[in-house]
Amino acid sequence: MMIRRILALAVLAVLSTPAFSQDAPTITVRKGDRVPVAVTPLGGSSGPAVTKVLQNDLDLSGWFQLVPDSRGSYVIGGSASGGSLQGRVTDGSGAVVLSKTYSGDDRSVAHQFADDIVETLTGHPGIATTKVAFVGTASGAKEIYLADYDGNNSRRLTSDRSISVAPSLGPGARNLAYTGYQGGYPDVYVIDVASGARQRAVSAPGTNSGAAVSPDGGRMALTMSKDGNPEIYVTGLRGGGAKRLTRTKGVEASPAWSPDGRELIYSSDEGGSPQLYRIGAGGGSPRRLNTGFGYNTDPSWSPDGKRVAFTVRSGGGFSVAVMDAEGGNARIVASGQNPVWGRNSRHLIFSSGSSLNLLDLNTGRTTTIVSGLGKVSEPTWSH
Amino acid sequence: MKSLTPTRILAVLLAAAVMVSCKTKPKDEYAGIDGDYVSGVPLPDRQDGASFLGGNVSKGQFATVQFGFDRYDVSSSEMPKVEAVAQAMRQSRNDLIIAGFTDDRGTEEYNRGLGERRALAVREALISKGISGGRIQTVSFGEEMPVDSGGGEAAWAANRRAEFGVIR
Repeated sequence: MMIRRILALAVLAVLSTPAFSQDAPTITVRKGDRVPVAVTPLGGSSGPAVTKVLQNDLDLSGWFQLVPDSRGSYVIGGSASGGSLQGRVTDGSGAVVLSKTYSGDDRSVAHQFADDIVETLTGHPGIATTKVAFVGTASGAKEIYLADYDGNNSRRLTSDRSISVAPSLGPGARNLAYTGYQGGYPDVYVIDVASGARQRAVSAPGTNSGAAVSPDGGRMALTMSKDGNPEIYVTGLRGGGAKRLTRTKGVEASPAWSPDGRELIYSSDEGGSPQLYRIGAGGGSPRRLNTGFGYNTDPSWSPDGKRVAFTVRSGGGFSVAVMDAEGGNARIVASGQNPVWGRNSRHLIFSSGSSLNLLDLNTGRTTTIVSGLGKVSEPTWSH
Repeated sequence: MKSLTPTRILAVLLAAAVMVSCKTKPKDEYAGIDGDYVSGVPLPDRQDGASFLGGNVSKGQFATVQFGFDRYDVSSSEMPKVEAVAQAMRQSRNDLIIAGFTDDRGTEEYNRGLGERRALAVREALISKGISGGRIQTVSFGEEMPVDSGGGEAAWAANRRAEFGVIR
């Protein structure tokens, strides 16, 4: 009798907690935990195609475990046809937690729905609507390619039959800066992705390369040698107002922006071998970040500001490493090079010979997203 | 002890002054024409239509300068090649483009910087021999266009180089 009463009180206490009384579900996902969700095949003429893309997006996101209908904490469904998707998510009690209409092609609507599901159920930004650009050699020359984050929908952006390298996507993948040799010198070009219009932005004497578009899309950080040494400069997106940040006798290369656009991390061999340094985007004294490795290049700053991914050379090959943005706690996470962060600060895309790979740092799972385009290198990932 | 003649005192004072001025100068850091922390002389404007890949530049006229692994300094054994270029430039009015290259053991973008640094190091060597920096352009191709696309030490060493192109 006593025990039954205590049990009843306990159940009451649980039911009256805010998590159960609020309409919007708030669930906390611990590292490694995955929410069981069931995707019921979407109806409509585009249903099968959209369902397939959606399932892959939810799987790659790393937040979910795809299970049969009866076992899902949430059930995902809807219908898609004629460039439109009506998506719906219900919880275990049948209450609707997300209901929204999307327009676009089959892949686009699936990606939009997937990102909304991730944000609604986990509170984290999704990566399904992002784009990746990279260098591929399938045509016989190094050209710039653009694809969905999962490697699908790839198309060649340049066709100069010269050397087109070091792409950097601006916010929302609206524009892309890259280094092109078609003028006989490495110059920085900026492409408006929607229209395809291209402009030569930086063509100072010597070498201009490795431009990184700032998080606000208004500036570029890059290497220029016009003053007699390869140094880091910041310019406007059209190449104007070049301001020099570094002054050394060595090689400075591959600047990466902090998420707030106030700082840069770049590679310099000032101390004898390529090491990473952190500097204000307006100038100042650079500070060396201790990695513990002898050769460190291609830094990428996580959107949450906490970590830096970079390339390490060790032995005869390259490794992908991650450390704190203040330096320290460096560890190797994969074999490959040129890592770039996804906007969720959880996934990295990096290159490895003839493939681009998606790495989930929470689970350690690696998925090949691009192959068959020759040697692929220097990925950039839109936020 | 020798007697202190006025000339001897002057010599000692001069030597002391030289030593003091050497000490106050930050070691090895100031270079270039404006006393800035520049290790090089600013590059001249590009010439219309003249590029290392263009038809109006003749290549292969001079021996390529080779570099050590991860290095950009011009070693003393390579200096005769630079001297030969300097001599030809003294007797001609043609300008020069120096192209820097690397092996493929670094990462791509860093190698573009390293190739440029190698080209600039050769340019500095020419300037030190009295050639005007205004006559010399530089360009980097990083690890692109290797002379030996095989692997191994011999190929890597051959690819770490600076080539000369004479603008016609």
